Amino acid sequence: MKNDEHRDLFPGALEMMILRTLKRQPLHGYALAQQIKRTSNDLLQIEEGSLYPALQRLLKEELVKAEWATSSTKRRVRIYKVTAAGAKHLEREVSRFNRMLDGITRVLARGES
Amino acid sequence: MNRLKQLFSRRRLYGDLSEEIQGHLEEKVEELVGNGMSRKDAESAARREFGNVTLTKEEGRDVWRWSFLENLLNDIRYGLRILFANPGFSIIAMLTIALGIGANTAIFSVVYAALIRPLPYSQPERLITLTELRPQQAGAADVNKQTWDNSYPDYLDWTHQCKSFQALAGFSGDGFVLFGAGEPEPILGAQATVNFFSTLGVKPFLGRDFAAGEDIAAGPRVALLSYGSWIRRFGGDPNILGRSIQLDDKSVSIIGVLPRAFEFAPRGNAEIWVPLHIEKDVLTRRSLRWMPVIGRLAEGTTQRQAQAEMNSITASLAAAYPQENGSIQVFMVPLRERIVGQVQPLLLILFGAVGFVLLIACANVMNLFLVRTAGRRREFHIRAALGAGRGRLISQVLAESLMLAAAGGVLGLILAEWGTSLLIAAIPDTLLAFTPFLRDAHTNLAVLAFLSIAVIFTGIAFGLAPALQISRGQESETLKEETRASAGGVRTRLRGVLVVAEIAFSLVLLIGSGLMVKSLTAVLNRDPGFDAKNLLTFSVNLPPTTYPKDPDAIRFDKEFTERLSALPGVAGVASNSVVPLTGNGASIRFVVEGQPVEKGHENECNIRDVSNNYFSVMKIPLRSGRLFDDSADSTTAPQHVIVNEAWAKEYLHGQDPIGKRIKFTYSPKENYREIVGVVGNTADAGLDSPDEPSLFLPFAQDTNSFINYVVRTGSNPPSAVGEARAALHAIDPQLVMIQPFTMDQIIAQSPSVFLRRYPSYLIGSFAALALILAMIGLYGLVSYSVSQRTRELGIRIALGAQQKDVMRLVLGEGARLTILGLVFGLLAALGITQLMRSLLFGVSALDPLTFASVSVVLALVAVVACCIPARRAMHTDPAAALRYE
Repeated sequence: MKNDEHRDLFPGALEMMILRTLKRQPLHGYALAQQIKRTSNDLLQIEEGSLYPALQRLLKEELVKAEWATSSTKRRVRIYKVTAAGAKHLEREVSRFNRMLDGITRVLARGES
Repeated sequence: MNRLKQLFSRRRLYGDLSEEIQGHLEEKVEELVGNGMSRKDAESAARREFGNVTLTKEEGRDVWRWSFLENLLNDIRYGLRILFANPGFSIIAMLTIALGIGANTAIFSVVYAALIRPLPYSQPERLITLTELRPQQAGAADVNKQTWDNSYPDYLDWTHQCKSFQALAGFSGDGFVLFGAGEPEPILGAQATVNFFSTLGVKPFLGRDFAAGEDIAAGPRVALLSYGSWIRRFGGDPNILGRSIQLDDKSVSIIGVLPRAFEFAPRGNAEIWVPLHIEKDVLTRRSLRWMPVIGRLAEGTTQRQAQAEMNSITASLAAAYPQENGSIQVFMVPLRERIVGQVQPLLLILFGAVGFVLLIACANVMNLFLVRTAGRRREFHIRAALGAGRGRLISQVLAESLMLAAAGGVLGLILAEWGTSLLIAAIPDTLLAFTPFLRDAHTNLAVLAFLSIAVIFTGIAFGLAPALQISRGQESETLKEETRASAGGVRTRLRGVLVVAEIAFSLVLLIGSGLMVKSLTAVLNRDPGFDAKNLLTFSVNLPPTTYPKDPDAIRFDKEFTERLSALPGVAGVASNSVVPLTGNGASIRFVVEGQPVEKGHENECNIRDVSNNYFSVMKIPLRSGRLFDDSADSTTAPQHVIVNEAWAKEYLHGQDPIGKRIKFTYSPKENYREIVGVVGNTADAGLDSPDEPSLFLPFAQDTNSFINYVVRTGSNPPSAVGEARAALHAIDPQLVMIQPFTMDQIIAQSPSVFLRRYPSYLIGSFAALALILAMIGLYGLVSYSVSQRTRELGIRIALGAQQKDVMRLVLGEGARLTILGLVFGLLAALGITQLMRSLLFGVSALDPLTFASVSVVLALVAVVACCIPARRAMHTDPAAALRYE
């Protein structure tokens, strides 16, 4: 299968960002896309569509749950919420990511000196 | 669980996803329009930013997909369509498989019930049978299978001394006339030591077990009913306990009913069990061996340890009682072996034979599959070109073959259920009584498991080769119509191998059935030593209250014989203590005058008490001397014996027996008896058993209260039964005619005949089935090759080939396959028929005549199978054949 959404990202990065964003505040798909774009200062080139397969994966793993609701703009939307398992997963992923980033930074720093 | 839930809620999941994406796009468009963009631009911008909508939806769905299962479902759906599109092929393949699987499952049901299922006792593997044996007795070589007799005093000593057994129990067959439940009727029963059921680990279903002290009394006072007789004779009366019935002349109270599942094959026909009730004389005579004994090994004791301990006990008993136990040995055989030992080789051979049938069926269906997949090559190439992987193509073909096998399996299960009941129904009741475990031969979990394994094996067996071939050819070849030249090759070679294997397997089966039929014929043609035609036998038991003494029995016998002889159509009436061919009967120890023998090591042979006219009525020839005679051998006359030829040969080594004297050693009061005659041998133990040495005493001098009559009739012996019964009741209405059978019935039901007739029919049917399948395979292959070679044949004919040349060409191909099959089949049969030696009689396992004649028959049938396509080839129209170009 195609993995285009990972072109700029490492596997799991998108899911991590989704969970992080949703943890702050439950959102529906469109709002979530806008939120991620905004927070990353448009630095990340993500096709908005790629959110949806990622959301389906999270749904399947039961890391998020979804409910249909009506938005402030009177639109029928599906609001995603992080589950307890999702929160735990996020914590683990973030700490793993931090360690990885730490390692990468050190290696890069040494190369520079 | 969760996955399964997802599988079913997927339609909703997909709907949600589509709606959500649609909403996303709309929201985006609205926002852009709000920012001043035209709706059209906004729509395309929204899509651009979103990416590929269809792909996104697909990827979203893929998350939920269970790809292995879904591919499989697809394969099945597609396969079903293919199979339904081609019903002729599917039905033939399915029927072939159903026959193969059905026959295998039926035989397996019986094999399972007899050989695999544990005996229905607690810890049955600890149950061992014990038998005493003297090397001097007839048939000592075959002891482990047949002999199962012990003396009661020895048994008592064992129970006191032997530590290896937790319990030792004895039993014996018995028969009663039952009064008090409808008409007086003879019923078969058994008597046992009071610990018999607890030794087996069986508890009565109603009431209680025998209690200590209930045996050895003067007669039976209590009884346990089998479940079947409780239902049949007493209507399943729940208040049966304590009810009195009359067995012979004794009143007995019913204390319990055995469980429905209880079975005891060695006394499978017993309807009623009573505690041991043998006369005192028999209970105390150490030299009289009559009681089968079962032991339950103590916890942690092996049979070997028990045997060692019994050997030392036997030695000490031999030292204490040299006359009685001087040459006694004790043998142990596990109960299971004793029960199924006789049927085991038969069942294993049948199982093997039917396995061959399944292999042939698989080969045949594989053949069909190969032809059909050849026709579907284009389809597979297209699928491959469209991106189907090798695995998908293989799984597609396997899905089809497994579906066919499964359909065949379902049909086979029905066939098996029906076949199993036929298999059981074909067993005579008298033999079925001693194989009660066959009641359990029906579909159960084990049989279903076997069926499933057979289905999977079958499906893979005939699907794998075509599947691999398809995927192999697939890379190199293109979509172009294949050339005729490439049609042969590997595929035809594999088909040739299959046909050769089919022919070889069917030859083995045909030879096996040929040998069985020949054995059956040999058994049936064996001269039993007497004229078995128009002979009726039945037994009469004289109860001791009305016939207490020998003269009473002699008086009855005389009067009854006179009445019977007076009946129209009766040519003669005689009696014997043993019904010929039934394998029953007693043996006795003796010494020949002038042949000194160490104490306790006397010879032992069969002994029969016969009426004076027994030999003439049975038409047993007198070889020398004289027959018994009413005046010379009356009750008070000097004691004489008649011997048979086997006896004279065994113990007198060619000397003239007439005038020689023998003495029985069971009692010091015995005197020498003179041999007055020598008669021909008779097959007492069955038509397949060797001649056994036998002694005959006149009934008047050695009287029994249980008398077996033989009535020679002019014709149609069964019609005499009614008149004979009337004659019996005219003398004493309390007497009952026991087991009236014609000698023909006895022969047909005897194990010696049955154990050959049964496999003859079965292996014969299997062989016929195999032959048909193999010939269909051969015919199919030759026809196919003719159709592939139409052009070649057309050219040959156009170039002047004669019809006979074409015929030779086609037949030659069939002949090559047939000869190869015959050669492999003969080689295989050389080894395989050795396995059935124990069932053969009067024919060698390598009987050249059978091997040769069966091969010729198969070759002839093969020629016929090839002739049909050959004729078609002969009439090939060269013009039409060449027009294909």
